[in-house]
Amino acid sequence: MSDKNAIRVLIAKPGLDGHDRGAKIIALGLRDAGMEVIYTGLRQTPEKIVQAALQEDVDVVGLSCLSGAHKYLFKRVAELLREKDMGDVLVIGGGIIPDEDIPYLKEQGIDRIFKQGTMIKEIADYIRQKVDRPA
Amino acid sequence: MTENIEEIKRRKQEWEKKVLKPALDRFFMKQSPNKYYSPADIEGFNYLKDVGLPGGYPFTAGTYPVVPYVPAQRGGLPKGSGLVRAAVYSGYGTAEDTRDYYKMLQQNGQRGGPNLAFDLPTQCGYDSDNPYVRGDVGKTGVAVDTLRDFEVIYEPFTGELELDKIASNFTINAPANMVLAMYFALAEKRGLALDKLRGTPQNDILKEYIARGTYIFPPRPAMRMVRDSIVFLTKYCASMNINQLGGYHIRGAGATREQDLAYSMANMVAYVEEGLKAGLDVDDFTQKFTVNAFGGSMEFFKEIAFQRAARRLWARTLKERFGAKKERSMLLRQAGLYANMGNENCTTQRPLNNLVRSTVGGIASALSGGMPLLYPPYDEPLGLGWSLEASQLAQDGFRILQYESKLTEVMDPLAGSYYVESLTSEIEDAARLELDKITEMGGAVACVENGYMQRAIAKSAYERQKRIESGEDLIVGVNCFVGEGELEVLPTRLVPHPYDPVKRENAEERQIKNLSKIKQSRDNTIVSRLLGELKTKAKDENENLFPHLIECAKAYVTLQEMCDVLREVFGEYQPIGLW
Repeated sequence: MSDKNAIRVLIAKPGLDGHDRGAKIIALGLRDAGMEVIYTGLRQTPEKIVQAALQEDVDVVGLSCLSGAHKYLFKRVAELLREKDMGDVLVIGGGIIPDEDIPYLKEQGIDRIFKQGTMIKEIADYIRQKVDRPA
Repeated sequence: MTENIEEIKRRKQEWEKKVLKPALDRFFMKQSPNKYYSPADIEGFNYLKDVGLPGGYPFTAGTYPVVPYVPAQRGGLPKGSGLVRAAVYSGYGTAEDTRDYYKMLQQNGQRGGPNLAFDLPTQCGYDSDNPYVRGDVGKTGVAVDTLRDFEVIYEPFTGELELDKIASNFTINAPANMVLAMYFALAEKRGLALDKLRGTPQNDILKEYIARGTYIFPPRPAMRMVRDSIVFLTKYCASMNINQLGGYHIRGAGATREQDLAYSMANMVAYVEEGLKAGLDVDDFTQKFTVNAFGGSMEFFKEIAFQRAARRLWARTLKERFGAKKERSMLLRQAGLYANMGNENCTTQRPLNNLVRSTVGGIASALSGGMPLLYPPYDEPLGLGWSLEASQLAQDGFRILQYESKLTEVMDPLAGSYYVESLTSEIEDAARLELDKITEMGGAVACVENGYMQRAIAKSAYERQKRIESGEDLIVGVNCFVGEGELEVLPTRLVPHPYDPVKRENAEERQIKNLSKIKQSRDNTIVSRLLGELKTKAKDENENLFPHLIECAKAYVTLQEMCDVLREVFGEYQPIGLW
């Protein structure tokens, strides 16, 4: 049963990276935390991700990338969201993201990078705090 | 066993009551944190039947009678004389970048062939100039679009390092046949006989659907490609391995120990059946299957038992289910690393702790029949590749365990341990049960198609995460011992990896230029004709596409051009939903 007030989250795997353990457990975990979660599956282009975000009218886009292509792919997703007037969607990310790249990603509009080992509870709390929804 | 089992059981009960219970009471404990095993836990144990001698059926004690590897100079791989080994898994940016890396390794004394890591577009059958793959070109490995790229990568491999004198490894899977075709085309251009080539392709497509994600076609046509390679390599490439099974990927994706073993075995069974269906004898080709470092976790004894159980289950399956007669067909042949910590257990928090973890893995590897290799280097989870310092420490760890601790002095030192023997049987039995279940459901291919294995792995991964979040499973520095009293030790990576970050940034652009030149200079009429013929041949299920793929490779047909024709005929795999 879907809750109309539930926060809507799109968990996406941009690029060709096939490591989806993290994306899947976060999708499952956020769903158990009461959010509406859409998981894109592997190999999504930034265009497809943004289209899905638009269609599903999500509050949050969570990006996962372990291949090293995050700088281009995350930036592109954030760019396209702004182009589609979805600049208010919260964009967060994770995967194997070197610390050195985090300031760059923040400048591009990625609100926060969650490092390996982050508890799903922490991500859920962060989303709830950032997404303004009547309880 | 000479002991009286009934007497042991009686004495243990008495001990639990009179000795253990008062001790637990003293510490206000209901249950003992330590288990204790006795001969009663391995009732019916039969040394010759259950363990045997190293290198003999059922191979519980070891795949081979000796472990001939010795640590080598840095950058080199452990080697014994007479062994032909490939280098460390590597591949960077463009073919030129990778060539230059191997040149540098050779200047430092490297004598092995390349162990090639390919970028994701290559592994998924796309060319570098496809806008769809932008951002991924040259990351995670080298981009290979056409034979040209192999010609460049292999420039440093001539003379005493000629293709037929080195071993090459290709972690390539879905487009394995096309990429091997390029390698064979290169060999033919150099006038070398295919049956002299040595190497190992990772062509384990089933684990791509369930664990690693670089699939292209649906499972059944993909298995036809595997069949083609089994038949072609058996016939023409007698010195090459046919297929390297993925090993740790399934565990890394979240499978439990028992699922990992059962699914790996189910996949291998499916490959064996492809060879048999094609008319080969089981003893003709299964000896050319290898495994890349099975398993992976920090549970030391369980991982050692897992290795022993895996060897035994595979040997018994080959003998009992497939009627193999040659012992060599029953070997679970792994590269040097056996039990290991598992890449996924590395932490970004206090990353030097990973050195401790990989040391535990190295000890487990030696005690389970391999070399005491420390894998991976401690900075694995930090991204940007391993630093030379981390690699140095990993290699030193190996040397210390080998020379100072003398870990490899005895083969299978835990054989006969009541605990380890009991655990070995427990893991084997649990995996066999799950393997039988998969067989009943139609085998590995059917269980990929209906999503059984994918969903089971995702569920196990999530269960593990829940145990971590609740504190039932502890990871030091991640979900425990993280208070203010702890010091967040950070390593310095003063000696960076030799792959220049600037080259990394512009590799995509350079590779697209390389490809564009080839597309202009080749004979495009021949290319169209070959692709047309490929389509016709692909439609005939009985046709072995390998010879024609080699013709395509020689004409500089690109990887994606070949794959696109096959996509048209075979379709593309559509992944199973998460719920």
